[in-house]
Amino acid sequence: MVLQRSLKIGAAGLFMAAAAMQAAQAQAPGVTADTIKIGTFGALTGPGYLYGKLPMNGIDVVFDEINAQGGIHGRKLQLVREDDRCDPAAAIGAVKKLIHQDAVFAMIGGGCSNATFAARDTIDEAKIPLVVMASVHDGITTPTPPTIFSAATTSSIESQAQLEFAIAQGAKRIAVISMRDSWGRARYNPMIEAFKKKGIKPVADEELSPDANDATAQVLRLKMSNADAVLMVLYPKPAAVFVRDSQKLAFKPLFIGQTGIADPAAFEDQVASPGATANFRTISMVGMTPQDPAAEKWRKAIEAKFPGDRLSVYNLFGIGSAQVMAEALRRAGPEPTREKLVAALNGLKDFKVDVYPGPISCSETDHRCHKTPAWLAKEPGGPVKVLGATKVE
Amino acid sequence: MNLFGRRNVLLALFALAAIAPHFVNTYHLFVCNLILVYVLLSIGLNILVGYAGQLAFANAAMFGIGAYGTGLLQVHFGLPFWLAFPLGAVIATSVGLAISLPALRVSGLYLALSSLAFAQFTQWVFLHWEKVTFGAGGFKTPTVSFAPLPVSKPIGLYYLTLILAAVLFLLAQNLVRSRIGRAFVAVRDGEVAAESLGIDLLRYKALAFGLSGFYAGIAGGIYSAMLNFVSPEGYDLFQMVLQKAMVVVGGLGSVAGSVLGAGAIVALLEALREVKGIQEIAFGAILVVFILFMPGGLVGFLKRKVPGWEEPLHRKGAGSAPAPAAAPAPAAGEARP
Amino acid sequence: MLSYLLLSGVTTGALYALVALGIVVVNKATGVINFAHGELFMFSGFIAWSLHVQMGVAYPLALPLAVAAGFALGALTDRIAFRPLIKADVISLVLATVGIAFVLRGVARIVWGGKGDYLSFPPITSPEPIMIGQIMVIPQQLAVLGGAILVMLLFAAFFRLTRAGKMMQATADNSKAATLVGIQTARIYTLSFGTGAAIAAAAAVLMAPLTLLYPDMGFAFFIKGFAAAVLGGLTSLPGAVLGGLSIGIIEALAGGYIHSSFIEVSAFIVIMFVLVVRPTGLLGFSRLRRV
Repeated sequence: MVLQRSLKIGAAGLFMAAAAMQAAQAQAPGVTADTIKIGTFGALTGPGYLYGKLPMNGIDVVFDEINAQGGIHGRKLQLVREDDRCDPAAAIGAVKKLIHQDAVFAMIGGGCSNATFAARDTIDEAKIPLVVMASVHDGITTPTPPTIFSAATTSSIESQAQLEFAIAQGAKRIAVISMRDSWGRARYNPMIEAFKKKGIKPVADEELSPDANDATAQVLRLKMSNADAVLMVLYPKPAAVFVRDSQKLAFKPLFIGQTGIADPAAFEDQVASPGATANFRTISMVGMTPQDPAAEKWRKAIEAKFPGDRLSVYNLFGIGSAQVMAEALRRAGPEPTREKLVAALNGLKDFKVDVYPGPISCSETDHRCHKTPAWLAKEPGGPVKVLGATKVE
Repeated sequence: MNLFGRRNVLLALFALAAIAPHFVNTYHLFVCNLILVYVLLSIGLNILVGYAGQLAFANAAMFGIGAYGTGLLQVHFGLPFWLAFPLGAVIATSVGLAISLPALRVSGLYLALSSLAFAQFTQWVFLHWEKVTFGAGGFKTPTVSFAPLPVSKPIGLYYLTLILAAVLFLLAQNLVRSRIGRAFVAVRDGEVAAESLGIDLLRYKALAFGLSGFYAGIAGGIYSAMLNFVSPEGYDLFQMVLQKAMVVVGGLGSVAGSVLGAGAIVALLEALREVKGIQEIAFGAILVVFILFMPGGLVGFLKRKVPGWEEPLHRKGAGSAPAPAAAPAPAAGEARP
Repeated sequence: MLSYLLLSGVTTGALYALVALGIVVVNKATGVINFAHGELFMFSGFIAWSLHVQMGVAYPLALPLAVAAGFALGALTDRIAFRPLIKADVISLVLATVGIAFVLRGVARIVWGGKGDYLSFPPITSPEPIMIGQIMVIPQQLAVLGGAILVMLLFAAFFRLTRAGKMMQATADNSKAATLVGIQTARIYTLSFGTGAAIAAAAAVLMAPLTLLYPDMGFAFFIKGFAAAVLGGLTSLPGAVLGGLSIGIIEALAGGYIHSSFIEVSAFIVIMFVLVVRPTGLLGFSRLRRV
C-alpha cells in the first residue's frame, strides 16, 4: 500500500515537474528569455578549415557586434561550433549533435560541399533553419529544401557567370582547368552543363591537383589547344602555380577565377611573378576584398577578436551569412519559432548586406538567395577594382 | 570466473548496446552505430596486422570498396539492399585476396608503401571513374527499408550492425584460437620459421587479407546505408589512421581489444568536439600519450590490472604475465623490419 | 615540349628528393619511417616565414635559424615518440609519429592558419623568368635544384668525413656492434632525427616561394617523398635522389603525353609494379632473411 501510494505521489510529482518544464519551454528550442543559441558546422580541422573555421570567426564578430547593441529583441546570440572535418559522416554527426544534444534554434554553417550535402537529409527531417555560409553544391538547395537557405552563390551560378564573362570578353576558344575534388566537381559539372547550353565545347579540359607544385604539362596542353580564355576551378595555391607556369611558357589567355581566389591582391603575391596576373579576372560572392576601405570595420573586429589573424575573404563569407540570419531573426519577431524564422527567410527581398555585391532575395520556391557575384581585377601594382556585378538567373 | 573478466565485461557491453536505443537520443544512437561499424573494421584489421603481422594500409580502401559496391549495386542495377550488401562484402573480400599477392613478395615498410599506393589508386578510381562512381561529388543511396519489421531505419540498422558485430566477433574469436590463428601468429613471428613448420605462406597471407577485406566490406555496406551517401573523402588516409589507432589503442593481436579500441577512439573523437579548435592537437597528443604509457593497448593494461583478461596468442610484449610486468616490452629486436 | 616536361619533372623531382633524403636519413639509422616528416617540413617553413616576413630577419640568417629549429623539432620527435618506444611494434612507432604530425598541424593552424589561405614567401632570386638556351626557367626553380644538390653534397660529406657522420653510419650498419665499440646509439638516433628534420627545414625554406605555405602542405610532400625513398631502396641516399627525380619525371611525362588527370596516380601505379617486380627498390640491397 505504502509503496503504491508513494509511487502515485512520485508519478504526480514527475508529471508536475514535466508540466513546469513545459511552461518554461513555451519558447522554441534554443531560445531562452535572454539568449538564442545558433549552431554552426564546418571544418575546424583539416584543409577545409578555410571554409569552416574562418567563416565561423566571421560569424563570431557579427554576433559580438549585435550583442554589444543589446542583441535581437533583447536576446543575445550564442554560437555553438561543431567540427565536421570536411567528412560526410562527421557532418551528419555534427548536425545531429547540434539538433538533438545542443538543441540549437537554427544554424549558420556548411563549409565543405559534400559534407553539407550529406547532412541535408538530417536537416530536412528536423526542419531546422540553416543559412549556408560557404558550401556551393547545387544539391544543397536544389530541389528546394524546406528550411535550408543559401547565402553563398551556388556553384552553378558562379560557373555560369564565369563562362558568360569569358564570352562577353570576346573569347572564342575557352578552356577549363579544374581540381577533381568534391569542391572542384561541384563547380565543374554545372560548368560543363553551361557549355552545353551555349552549344560550345571547351577546347581543352585539364586537371590540376590541390597540392600541385608544377603545371607545366597542363600549360603546354592548353597552349597547344590555342585557348584564349581559361576558366579556373582552382584553389589559390594550384591557381598560383598555374598562372606562374603560364607566364614562364608565354601562355597569355584571359584567366577567369571564382570565389575560391576572390582576393586578387593576395593572389598577386602568391603568384610572385611580376606581370603574370595582368590578365587575371575573378568572380566573387563577396563584393569587397580585405584591403578595401569598406572592409575597415570588419578588419578591425577580426583582428581584435583573433589576435594575429588577418581579415580574409573566408571571414567575409561568415560575416555576410550571419547578417542574413540576424535580419531574419529580427523579422521573426520577439517570440521566435523555427516556422516564423523560415517564413522570415522566405520573405527576404532585396535585402542589402555590406559584404555582398548584390541584394539577398529568397522566395518560397527558390532558396538560392545570393545570385549576384561581383567581378574583380587588379592591374599589377595597382589597386583592386570591382568591375561590376552580374545577376545570374 | 572473474566478475570483471573479459567475458563478463563484453557480455555487459553487449547487453548495454542491446537496450541502448531505448534511452539515448538520435545523436547518441548515431554515434553508437558508428562505434559498431568501427568494431567490425578494427576486428578485421587486427586479424591482418595484429595476428598475421602484415603492415598494410589498404583497409580504408577496402572499406570504401564495400561502401561503393553496396551503394552502386543499388543505384545502377536496382538491387535491393539485402542483396547488394552481401555482394559488396564479396567484392571487398576478393579485392583483399587480390592485394595479398604483392604481400607475398614484399613485407614490412615495402608492403606498407605498396598497399598505400593501392589505396591512393583506389581513391583515384573513385574520383575519376565518373560514369560508375559519380566522381568526387559522391552519390546518394536509397534508404534501407526494414519492412515488414515495425522499426525505423536508424533503429533497424543499429540492431543489424549489432547482430553482425556480435556474430563476427565470435567468429574472429574462434578463428584466432584455431589452427588458422596459430598459423597467422607463426607467420607474424617469423616467415621462414613458419614455412619450415609446413605453413603455406601464400594461403595464410591470402586468408588474412581476405578476412580483413570481408570485415571491411561488411562495415562499408552498413556505413553507406547509415549515411545514405557515399563519397571518396570518407575512405582516405585519415580513415586509415583512425582504424590503425583503434587497433593499437585496443591492443594488437586481441579481438576483444578491437572492440575496446573502436569504442575508445570514436568516443574520443566525439568527446573532442567539446575542445573546439584544438581537436587535432588533443587527438594527436592523446594518441602519443596512449602509445607511450599503455604499450599493449587497453587490453594489455587490463591484463595486468584485472584478472580474467588473459588471452592466448596475444601480441608478445604486451605483458602477458599478470603481476610483475614492470618492464612492459621484452627485447623484441626484430619487431621492426 | 619534351625538354620542358623533363625540366619540370626534374625540378619537381628535386623537391621530392629533398623530402625523401630526410626520410632516408632517419630510416637508415633507426629503421622507422617518421610520419611526421612532412609536418616538420611544414612547421620549419612557417618558422622561416615568421622570421623572414614578419620579423624582417634577413634571408641568410633566417635560413640557418629555421634549419636549427627544424633540428630541434626533429630531436624532440625522437625524445617523445621514438626513444621511449624503441622496442615497441613498428606500427606503434608509426602511430606515435602520426600523433606528432596531428599536433604540429593543429598548432600551425592556430598560429598561422588565420593569416591568409596560402602564405607567400618572397623568392630569394629574381622573380622574372630567364632564358637558358631555348628554355624559359624560373630562377627559383634553379635555386631549388642547386640547393638540393648542395644539401646532398653537404650531407654526403658529413656522413663520410665527420665523426658524428661515421658513428651514424656505423649505427645504421649494425646497432649492436656500434654499442659494443662504445657508440651511444640513443644519441645517434636523436642526431638522425634531428638531421632528417634539418634537411626538411632546408628544403622547406628553399621551396616555400614556389609552393606557398599552408598547414596541410606536409602530407602531400610526405607521401611523394616516402614513395621516392622506397623507390630508391629506403636506405640509399643516392637512391632517394634517384627515386625523387624518377617520380617527378614520371608525373610530368604522364601529364604531358597521356592527360593531366594521370599526374597524381602515375607514381603510385609505377610503385605498385616496381615493388612487385623488384621489392627492394631501385638501389636497395636485398637482405637475407634471418632464420
